[in-house]
Amino acid sequence: MRDPKEIIKRPIITEKTSDLMAKDNKYTFAVDKKANKTEVKYAIKTLFNVEVEKVNILNVRPKRRRVGRYEGLKPGYKKAVVKLASGNSIELFEV
Amino acid sequence: MTVKVEKVEENKVKLTVTVEAEQFNEALDVAFKKVVKDINVPGFRKGKVPRNLFEKKFGVESLFEEAINYIVPKVYPDALIEGEVEPVAQPSIDIDFETMGKDKPFTFYATVTVKPEVELGDYKGIEVEEKSTEVTDEDVNNEIDKLLKKHAELVVKESEANSSDTVVIDYEGFKDGEPFEGGKASNYSLELGSNSFIPGFEEQLIGVKAGEEKTINLTFPEDYHAEDLKGQEVEFKVTCHEVKSLELPELDDEFVKELNRENINTVDELKDDIQKDLKEKKEQTAKNHLIDTVVETASNNAKINIPDEMIASETDRMIQDATQRLQQQGINLDMYLQYTGNTKEGLEEQFKGEATKRIRFNLTLEAIAEKEDFEVSEEEIKKELEKISETYNVSMEQVKNAFPDTTSIENDIKRQKAIDFLVDNAEKK
Repeated sequence: MRDPKEIIKRPIITEKTSDLMAKDNKYTFAVDKKANKTEVKYAIKTLFNVEVEKVNILNVRPKRRRVGRYEGLKPGYKKAVVKLASGNSIELFEV
Repeated sequence: MTVKVEKVEENKVKLTVTVEAEQFNEALDVAFKKVVKDINVPGFRKGKVPRNLFEKKFGVESLFEEAINYIVPKVYPDALIEGEVEPVAQPSIDIDFETMGKDKPFTFYATVTVKPEVELGDYKGIEVEEKSTEVTDEDVNNEIDKLLKKHAELVVKESEANSSDTVVIDYEGFKDGEPFEGGKASNYSLELGSNSFIPGFEEQLIGVKAGEEKTINLTFPEDYHAEDLKGQEVEFKVTCHEVKSLELPELDDEFVKELNRENINTVDELKDDIQKDLKEKKEQTAKNHLIDTVVETASNNAKINIPDEMIASETDRMIQDATQRLQQQGINLDMYLQYTGNTKEGLEEQFKGEATKRIRFNLTLEAIAEKEDFEVSEEEIKKELEKISETYNVSMEQVKNAFPDTTSIENDIKRQKAIDFLVDNAEKK
């Protein structure tokens, strides 16, 4: 399997995800575009040393952005919502 | 909360106040609620950042300032009560930052000026001279003369003007044959002997008759305000239109009736009334004099070291009072200062002496009240409140609402009692 640090890119911390963390013990990450659920599960397990119950994955589409007369795309990414087995937790911090 | 009181120097006290961790955490919560409204974190709307994330991002220290602002004013009054400290000025606050932290007790130091201790001197048996309250016939007659003059009428007369008459004149002044500014008026009523014109002018008009024209030669005084006229010789052409003399009304029952005073119809009654009035006035001044002297002597006998802060705050209060009074007349302080050519500092200096005296008096009276153990009953407080309600024409209800705490009234009554005590125990001569 690939290096876990290559798979997990960064945590996503917003109002929505902090609710998920508090209520459902679910942690949200941006992950590598080519990663699958199995890979994410393995990566989280090795990186944070926790039990993972379930992983949900979705693709965030690139968004159109315009700066003056130039139009471009804001890159999309793959987002993984990881549910930990109860009793496990991760200390997240933004870099 | 624990409070430790230490005396640092004369009239100065240092309070060491320690607040329990629990209460300090409460202050942090309040501070967080306030601070969080103003910060932006990507991914969150304003004010929606969770506490733990906030603390990780900014550190709990960022809440300290707000927490201090919240907790110190909240705790300080209680600390004063617990430490039995009576401050007279704002405290200077020091914070113990080293031991500060979440879930830790919080300590601050307040250094504050307190009421000075009063060392009373002699205050019993103060010697005072009692002013006589006797009203002589002369006093009464003077009063009646004043009354007559007030009701006197100006009567036009044909004969020559004498020194107490009023003349109606036109005049024009010439310097070297040229008219000068401000030297002209017409139909001016001038009371001779009132000294409202430059010296010599009025004197030279004595003896004029109605319709007469007269030329007056004068020298302006050296201290005259207009630069170009100072000490100059001038000529005034004066035309006299009318000569009026003051005619005093006859003092008889009719005059008395015209005064329209209640129940006073004859000259004798008027005299009695005036006599009574004067007596009352004299008694009042005598009493005031008595009070002033005893209080002043007592306070001079006492040893008090009044802290500067106290004088400064009293001076401030007096200036504020004065400003308010001026404002009622539609003048603001700056305008007043401009008029009188004074500065704010000058005014402060002026009030300072009076302020010191007032503080001295009050402190002395308070000390006497304490030493003599004056008690104030509920009854007396109620009476005082009723008095206030009457003077300001408001209901008792409102007065009670305005004074939820009656200590200030109690203190007033105590002070009054101290004054009475001083007067009663004074040795009158």
